[in-house]
Amino acid sequence: MQERKLSSIWSIVSMNGFLPLRRQPLFLINTLTSPFSFLFFLAIVGAVSNHDFIPYGVAGGMVLTVLSIGTSLQSDMTHYKADLKFQEMVVASPVRAGTYVTGMALSELVFSLPGMTVFTVLSLFYAHYVFLGGLVVVASLVLVWIFASALGFTLATYLADVRETFMISPIISIFLTVVPPVYYPITALPRWLWPVAYLAPTTWAADLVQGAMGIKPITLIEGVTDGLVLVFAAALLFVIAWKKAQWRET
Amino acid sequence: MASALKSTTLTKAYRWGGKSHEALRGVSLEVPKGAILGLIGRNGAGKTTFLRIASTSLLPTSGKMEILGHDVVDDCVAVREQIAVIPQESRPFYWMTPRELVFYYLTMRGHTQKDARARADEALGELGLGEWENTLVGRLSGGLRRRAMVAMVMASDAEMLFLDEPTTGLDPVARRSVWEAVRKAARKNRTIFLTTHYLDEAEALSSRLALLDKGQLLASGTREFISQKVKHPYRVVVEGGFTRGELEGYGDLTWLEDRWMIFTGEKEAREISRLALERGARLSLGPVSLEDIFLQIVGKDITKDETEEAEVAGA
Repeated sequence: MQERKLSSIWSIVSMNGFLPLRRQPLFLINTLTSPFSFLFFLAIVGAVSNHDFIPYGVAGGMVLTVLSIGTSLQSDMTHYKADLKFQEMVVASPVRAGTYVTGMALSELVFSLPGMTVFTVLSLFYAHYVFLGGLVVVASLVLVWIFASALGFTLATYLADVRETFMISPIISIFLTVVPPVYYPITALPRWLWPVAYLAPTTWAADLVQGAMGIKPITLIEGVTDGLVLVFAAALLFVIAWKKAQWRET
Repeated sequence: MASALKSTTLTKAYRWGGKSHEALRGVSLEVPKGAILGLIGRNGAGKTTFLRIASTSLLPTSGKMEILGHDVVDDCVAVREQIAVIPQESRPFYWMTPRELVFYYLTMRGHTQKDARARADEALGELGLGEWENTLVGRLSGGLRRRAMVAMVMASDAEMLFLDEPTTGLDPVARRSVWEAVRKAARKNRTIFLTTHYLDEAEALSSRLALLDKGQLLASGTREFISQKVKHPYRVVVEGGFTRGELEGYGDLTWLEDRWMIFTGEKEAREISRLALERGARLSLGPVSLEDIFLQIVGKDITKDETEEAEVAGA
């Protein structure tokens, strides 16, 4: 059974990850555009205002790159469900919903790997990792990946057409990447926006990543709190996906 | 004989615009194992809804359905182990080749790579895709793409296959290669559930037929069994020699530009033949076609769209 699941996941990763990348390498550049645009702006603003924002841009780029997996997953799954009817073929097969989503989420990760590699290399120049900081960053990004994938899958099962994803994605982006201090310290936000920012799991993820990379000071208690909130958010979204996603239509 | 599919008073209602719309109304149908069932009906008759419930993609509103002895609602995991489906209007990934599509679909379902390769070879050959097996789907014609979809499910080890209008958009030669693949699958004792609005296809392929209209099952069984159910089992066409008044008493009469067509019984058909010979009128006679049966049972041509009718009625 376990072997069959792994075979299914490998097949889905090949179909939705390796093969399209091999046939159309421009997909790789596409995933790099947003995080590098932000990094570019931060570098310019930093140069003009005599501040070094690049470390924040690198940490934010990592979080945004992983978070974009959720957005891509949502678009792909909506397209496969509504246009290609591939999801219906998967439903009527021995492949379970969890296996399909894991395969799809891993295949989106394939697209993010080049971006993650570049940001990891940049972080070696711009960050000052604290003790075990690298592991904390990886763990945080894994939790963001789970959270984003569960959110993407759940939304995709409710969307009727891929055009609806074009409407939903920017709204989610504002809530998860613009207001939350992914690209800057939370102290840069007006005080009244803090409660809104703390509603987004990405605020906690960014705080933890920035702290682990030594970009801003972080206490052990703050770090543990960030981690617990992230675990809670990932688990909550996972349960919502498990219970509420419409694998089978009603 | 054991049933591959058994539905009992199955209903499905969709809600939109604050109203409930019944897509299926108490459909009870049984399909024996190893049969090719052709579910025929006009667009909007409920064929796809029925197939989607059977293939566990859609929940019914009420009633019961079992596939190979497993309930589609309570035991869907067991059902899914034994089925494969080609949904209506489904399309393959354009960045893959037909060979890759079949191979990865099979490994996704749990086949070993070796088995998947062997099955892909066989299915691609059967469907005449050998020449294009390594061409990207994006460069193939619509017909070849559809055949690649058929190859995916045919290559699987599923005991029951659901094909929702599998030959739409195919040319006659390609349709026949799909038909042959379907027949071959049935010879391996697999059960095929086919929806179509091509009556020639249903007639050529199906060992059993089911007629659905406005969500209701109007008839089901073998072709011969359904033929016996119609009021007029013979079709007579006469050109000249008769007036409308003379023919009216024999059955259902239709004027076809230059000749009369009558759906009638055996005795009446003999009588018209005799008279036609005496009067030197041209005549053709034979048992009713599936299209005629459909017309008699449903009361409308299969090409008439049910959804259009509903829209007109609502306008």
